[in-house]
Formats: sequence, C-alpha cells, structure tokens
Amino acid sequence: MVAFKGCYALVYRTYMRETGGLLMKKLISALAVAAAFIGAQATAQDIANMSDTEFAHIAYTADNIDIRYAHLALALSDNPEIKKFAKTMISDHEAVNEAALELLAKLGATAQDNAVSQALNERADNIINEFSQLRGAAFDKAYAENELAYHQEVNALVEGTMIPNIDNAEVKALFEQGLKIFKAHEKHAEMMVKSVQ
Amino acid sequence: MCSDFSRRHILIAGAAASVAALTNPAKAEVRSKIHDVRIKDFVYVPDTLHVHVGDTIRWINDDLAPHTATALEFGWDTGELKRGESAEVVVSENMETAYFCVFHPHMKAQLVIS
Ligand SMILES: [Cu+2]
Repeated sequence: MVAFKGCYALVYRTYMRETGGLLMKKLISALAVAAAFIGAQATAQDIANMSDTEFAHIAYTADNIDIRYAHLALALSDNPEIKKFAKTMISDHEAVNEAALELLAKLGATAQDNAVSQALNERADNIINEFSQLRGAAFDKAYAENELAYHQEVNALVEGTMIPNIDNAEVKALFEQGLKIFKAHEKHAEMMVKSVQ
Repeated sequence: MCSDFSRRHILIAGAAASVAALTNPAKAEVRSKIHDVRIKDFVYVPDTLHVHVGDTIRWINDDLAPHTATALEFGWDTGELKRGESAEVVVSENMETAYFCVFHPHMKAQLVIS
C-alpha cells in the first residue's frame, strides 16, 4: 500500500498540471469502485486496463441487473410510484442494451465476460434473494435505496473508470449516452427514496 | 396497462387535434405553424414554446431512452416515443400548457399559448 501511495503521488505530480486533476479523479473513483464491487478479485488497474469488449460486457451486465431488480419490484410492490419507476428502468435499460448489441454487431465484436461482470452478478443474486423475502413498505424502501446506491456506483464506474479508458469512439459515445440515462435514473431514484421514507 | 394508457391518450390527443382543426379552419389555414421540440439528453428543447391555437407541435426523441410529452393533468399525451420517433399535437384553446415525461417525471416543460 505504501509503495502504491508513493507511485500514486509521483503519477499525480507528473500529470496534475496537464490534466487538471482528471487522472486523480479517475484513480480515486477506480479505487472506490474496485473496493465496492470486486474486493480482492481485481485491482483498479485491472479494470482500467480492460478492453472495450469487456467494458461492453460490464455495462450489459449492469443493465440486466437493474432490469432484474425492476421485475422483482413489479412482482412484489403495490406502490404505484415504485412500479412506474421499475417500468422506466426496464424500458430505458432495454433501450441501451439494444443499442449496445446493435453497435457490437456493427463492429463485428462480442462482449467479453470478465471478473467484474461476474462479481456484479453474484452480488445481484444475493440482493435479489434478500429482497424477495421483503414485503410492503420494507420492500419499497429497500428497493428505492438500492436503486439509488446502485446507480451511484455504476455511474462512478462508467464515468471515472470506463469512459476514460475506452478506445473505440463509437463505443465511447454510446457509454456517454448511457451515462446520461443512468444519471437521470439516479436523480429519479433520489426522489423515490425520499417518497418512501 | 401502461401501453393501454398511452394508446388511449394518443387517441384523445388525436381527437382533440381533429376538433381543433374542424372548429378553426380559417385560423388553422392562415397561421398554422409546425413547431419542433427536440428531446435530447433528458431535456425538452425549447423548454418554453410559444404557440398559437391551430399550430402543430411536433416532439422528436433524439435520446436512446423512450420518452413522452404528457400534460400534467393528462389532458393530452404523445404516448411513448422511442429513439428517433416523433408525435404531433395540435394546439387547442384550453389545452394544458404544463407537461412532463411520464417515464422521467423530472423532465418538465411548458407551452405559452397566445
Ligand atoms: Cu423520459
């Protein structure tokens, strides 16, 4: 850790002037995300070094997880606001995934499975198991809070770690569009969390 | 249920449009204009639109995410607009002027009818 800090300080001094702190922001969010998502399984550097097709797989996985949460909410919640939000999550994330598949097909590429996608899925399985035991207001509160936290985390990962490291311009543009959608969801989730308190 | 809701409101908007066209034929011919409102990055552009009775407003969704333009009290509605789709509503005298996106309720805009 000391060695890493030293290295980080050197990198920071070297690039700070040119990048206006962008690199620092990137490293910090990469670290935060790595800690939150994948623990010891991969380092921040591992994520930053991933290929575009691995990024695409992570994004596709993250979309599908939110779609799964939304289907659970439609099945278990009686709250019209929660149901409306869940329907929006399904239609928006499906739209992004459709666009992602179109682009991959156009580029002749295939999304590539990786440790981050697997860790995301594993965590989602646990959350779905846990939430499926809840009913009524307890479910609504848990769902709303998880939606906010999940969008915050994924947005940090996409914005801080993935977008700056994407090579292909079209893939990058799609991620930027996706990020705008997920940021809108984050705002919406904030309101929803307040409404179920 | 969601799509029934949308379809019903498209019909209502369509009926309101036809009535407006029938009752104001002269006005509609003389100065009816088409105003485009683009939906981009979760914003209606422009977010305040000045229109006259008989004009047509056309919403075009440039976003990946589907959106709607829906009167706050649901008096009119474009229904769901997927990426690249558009829908038109004819301005009538007493139509609601504040609207939002049913899917993303923080998206808001307004019409000014003169
Ligand atoms: Cu919308």
